[in-house]
Amino acid sequence: MVALALPRTAPSNAGRAVRIARALRGPLLRLLGAVGVIVAIVSITFLVSRVFTADPINLFVGDSATEATRQQARTQLGLDAPLIVQYGRFLAGLATGNFGTSYLSGEQVGPELLGRLPATVELGLYAVIVGLVFGIIVGVAAAVFRGTPLDAVLRFFTTGTLALPQFWIGLMLLWIFFVNLHLLPGPTGRLPIGMNAPGTITGLYVPDALLHGDLATATAAVRQLILPVITLSVGSFGPVARQVRSAMVESLDSEYVRTARAMGISRPRIWFGYALKPGLLSVLTIGAGLVGWTLAGSVLVEGIFGWPGIGQLAITAIQSSDYPVIQGFVLYVATLYVVIWALLELVYVRVDPRRSA
Amino acid sequence: MTAPTIGFPRLIRPTRSRLGAAGRSWALWTGVAILALLIVTSIVSTFWTPYSPTASGTGALQAAPSLAHPFGTDGLGSDVLSRTMAAARTDVSITVVVVLMALVVGTVWGSLAGFFGGAFDYVTMRILELLNSFPSLLLAVLVIAVAGSGIANVIFVVAVLPLPDYVRLARAEIRSKKEYQFAEAARLVGRGPFGVLFAHLVPNSLRPLLTYASVNASYVASTVGALGFLGLGIQPGSAEWGSMIAQGQDAILSGQWWISGFPGLAIFLLAAAFHLISDAIADLRDQGSAA
Repeated sequence: MVALALPRTAPSNAGRAVRIARALRGPLLRLLGAVGVIVAIVSITFLVSRVFTADPINLFVGDSATEATRQQARTQLGLDAPLIVQYGRFLAGLATGNFGTSYLSGEQVGPELLGRLPATVELGLYAVIVGLVFGIIVGVAAAVFRGTPLDAVLRFFTTGTLALPQFWIGLMLLWIFFVNLHLLPGPTGRLPIGMNAPGTITGLYVPDALLHGDLATATAAVRQLILPVITLSVGSFGPVARQVRSAMVESLDSEYVRTARAMGISRPRIWFGYALKPGLLSVLTIGAGLVGWTLAGSVLVEGIFGWPGIGQLAITAIQSSDYPVIQGFVLYVATLYVVIWALLELVYVRVDPRRSA
Repeated sequence: MTAPTIGFPRLIRPTRSRLGAAGRSWALWTGVAILALLIVTSIVSTFWTPYSPTASGTGALQAAPSLAHPFGTDGLGSDVLSRTMAAARTDVSITVVVVLMALVVGTVWGSLAGFFGGAFDYVTMRILELLNSFPSLLLAVLVIAVAGSGIANVIFVVAVLPLPDYVRLARAEIRSKKEYQFAEAARLVGRGPFGVLFAHLVPNSLRPLLTYASVNASYVASTVGALGFLGLGIQPGSAEWGSMIAQGQDAILSGQWWISGFPGLAIFLLAAAFHLISDAIADLRDQGSAA
């Protein structure tokens, strides 16, 4: 940390403003760096998409359109200007919160992304929670019972979830629970067809419906969520379970756990209160990965379950060269990723004092 | 640390539990056996498949698995077994090529950065930071979206994604080993810097890289499948596991699971084989350093 590394003997009459400025220097530099990374990523996508792809003008005019019509459409969309001018306009638009207009739907990209955000957040949030909880439980169990048949079974299961393609798991779950057993609803999105969304408070259907006291809608929303959440959580479950297991195998062998055992502290307390801590720390280090896997997974999973989220929007955009939407999506992912990294770093310094040294 | 050795050290230390040791060799041999099976399948499929993988109408449309068509037929009446076999060639070879490329490029790049340090090392680390600031599957999807699909693009993108990890691993290994006595000895007998690096240091740093390469191979297999599933990899409709799964996606809702089911199991086998092998290599290493 830059701010902490400053010499302690700084003159005490430096004044309040200077001290505050110094304290803020580290976070500010980090913020600038983060903004720099985001701008770089967005710029690269912009340039690459303009240089490499087929002419998007074909999306607007039919194949039989005359050159004059094409030219007119280009002028309308601002695609006739030199690349550098287009880039300038694009950056200026970003600065004012204008992401452009989707080529396909004609909607503003910003509002469209925001409108789909709650669906993705609801799915992703539950999936990360489920993946973390089960990953930690399985990791602890495998470490505590290492070398026993239970460890072997859990290891087999974990490896299985790592090796099975996520989208395939989703399809097979649908086949089992919807097509054959009729236990869970089909891929119709966030609610069964014909059901109305609860009034928006948080944007997440389950809490919203509960807050409105609408138990029927809440149950329906939960049933819609079960399969996609399981599918998506598979992506974070495996890595978490492995990480926790290996960290905990090490800490179970360490002196402090032996001391705790000698002191007669109960086993569950040793496992979850003491030995798990280094494991949780190692989960934190793959925290950004968790978000990344979940996001990437949502692109695959949302398509399968007809989930009206950002991932589905992105795939449609990518398959039809809808640049403004692609760029909006990239910006969203990059921002989220950078923010998560920054948060993790802050948390990490708090949790592990060695890091701030 | 024990003296650096190449290859697997012998199992000397009695293991903590019987099942552990049995489990380990079981894992290694199962992994190798599955991989061998897939490679043989892809070789056999170049000159023999039960039906032509590209021919439609070899049986009824969407027929359930039967003796004539063990994996059933798809919506065009093509034989799913033949297509799964033919796809093994595509998927296995892409996976192997990608991992070899990333392993070789990453090792050379990382060793040079670790050995010589300086400005080259600095630039390397900055590039790695930039590559790491974006989720990798999404990066692959985006690059292919803008650069166009096709086998060459898929191979290139999927090989670049894990490159930072290879570079970082190789760099760390070389940095920690370059002052070892065996490196110094090589220097003393008159080996030039490149001789010391590539004849002595790199061969002695390969094990963590190979372990990682094996894990990486399983991710490559799923990523290639995911790209095919999204229609971004190889031409949609061609024999590739991911795009075969996408083809059968709608049929699943009406109960025909086999069109997507078997290609998915094939991806699973390939990925699981590499996972098992990497687990086994990692365990052998643990034992080696503790012995």
